[in-house]
Amino acid sequence: MIEQIYQIVKLNFRLEWQERQSYFSILIYILSSVYLSYLVFSEVISAETWNAFFWVIFIFSAVQAAYRSFHYEADQRFLLYYGMVKPENLVLGKIIYNFLYLYATGLFTALVFAFLMGNEINSLGAFLFILLLASLGFSAILTFVAGISAKASNNPALPAILSIPLLYPQLISLSRVSLRSLTGFSWEVNAPLLIVLALLSLVSLLLSFLLFPYLWRD
Amino acid sequence: MKGIWWKLLGLLLVLFSLVYGMLGPVQRLPILNETIRVLYYHVPMWFAMVALMLTSLIYSLKALNTNNFAQDSYAFEAAKTGFFLASIGLSTGMVWARFTWGAFWVNDPKLNGTAVTMLIYLAYFVLRNSVEDPFKRIRLAGVYNIFAFVMMIVFIGILPRLTDSLHPGNGGNPGFNKYDLNSDMRPVFYSAVIGWILIGLWLTNLRVRYKNLKEKHEQV
Repeated sequence: MIEQIYQIVKLNFRLEWQERQSYFSILIYILSSVYLSYLVFSEVISAETWNAFFWVIFIFSAVQAAYRSFHYEADQRFLLYYGMVKPENLVLGKIIYNFLYLYATGLFTALVFAFLMGNEINSLGAFLFILLLASLGFSAILTFVAGISAKASNNPALPAILSIPLLYPQLISLSRVSLRSLTGFSWEVNAPLLIVLALLSLVSLLLSFLLFPYLWRD
Repeated sequence: MKGIWWKLLGLLLVLFSLVYGMLGPVQRLPILNETIRVLYYHVPMWFAMVALMLTSLIYSLKALNTNNFAQDSYAFEAAKTGFFLASIGLSTGMVWARFTWGAFWVNDPKLNGTAVTMLIYLAYFVLRNSVEDPFKRIRLAGVYNIFAFVMMIVFIGILPRLTDSLHPGNGGNPGFNKYDLNSDMRPVFYSAVIGWILIGLWLTNLRVRYKNLKEKHEQV
């Protein structure tokens, strides 16, 4: 099982790397949206605005990045997978791939933010950890929604409509706890919120894992 | 549920709570004053909404296991009724908030929770409409419905408990929870809750039957 998941992750990286423009388009997407907020908000950047803009941009680039998850499976390869891969393994592989992808995206976004808007991050370790939790929860939900919209087809707004409301619970807790990592972080004080975040990610993971087989069979 | 008794019961209970909610005695509290009566018209909506969303979830689970259209459409209609009740709850809450907080909408965990819940169910409706193949629709919509229900519980049940809220029932504000539901108000409130749940189920039932009749008519 682990071998199969590993193969799926590797395959995904290989396929995406063959068509590098999807990676580059995400990078440009982030650059241009951060620059946009830099232009609009350059005078009044505080920790709060930094935080708000960061999460809004991250959530949109995450949706952009992940909705292509099942792009390659859309036609012929579906048939190949039915026989060869268990849906549980497939979804776990995709989630792991998206997790790595989203974490890289988040790191890049934070980097561009720090460069353009000034480095507001006070406790870097905490921020990176929060980003890790965020990528985990986001990848679980976004992979699942990408599966739904790949099957529902031809409504370009569907991934965003379906996933953004599902991401709100995490986003609310995330923006609150990450603001504290910008202004000064204490692990003891924030432990309950971090646990809630971890639990939310876990619930999303579990739901994706359990429900994906239903989505998958045709 | 068979027969007419539960429909009559629901009607009676709702009528009782509507009329007696206006006429019955309530305690006088600072700031709240007579607006405490909104308890009868606002809170039962959320109870009924959760009950209907739960019904929708159960039918979705059934439909996923049996691939049955009837159950799938029941799930859809239950979610629609729940959404309708939520919009009533939202508007009565907004009227109340205008008179006690001074604004129709404030940034508060509970209010955000209901707004997002409604957005999630709107997304569910959009998803249903964008899938043509009915078998595919059972699966996609059913699976999303399960997700939606879990997120709703997280939103209205768990997140508000973690933060202070302006809304009655949380934090240290002069809300309902300390004083409300004395012996005068309790019977009216409970009959409103049960009544609205029954009315919601009846409404769903009617919508499903109407839809079935319409389909039959179109086939003929």
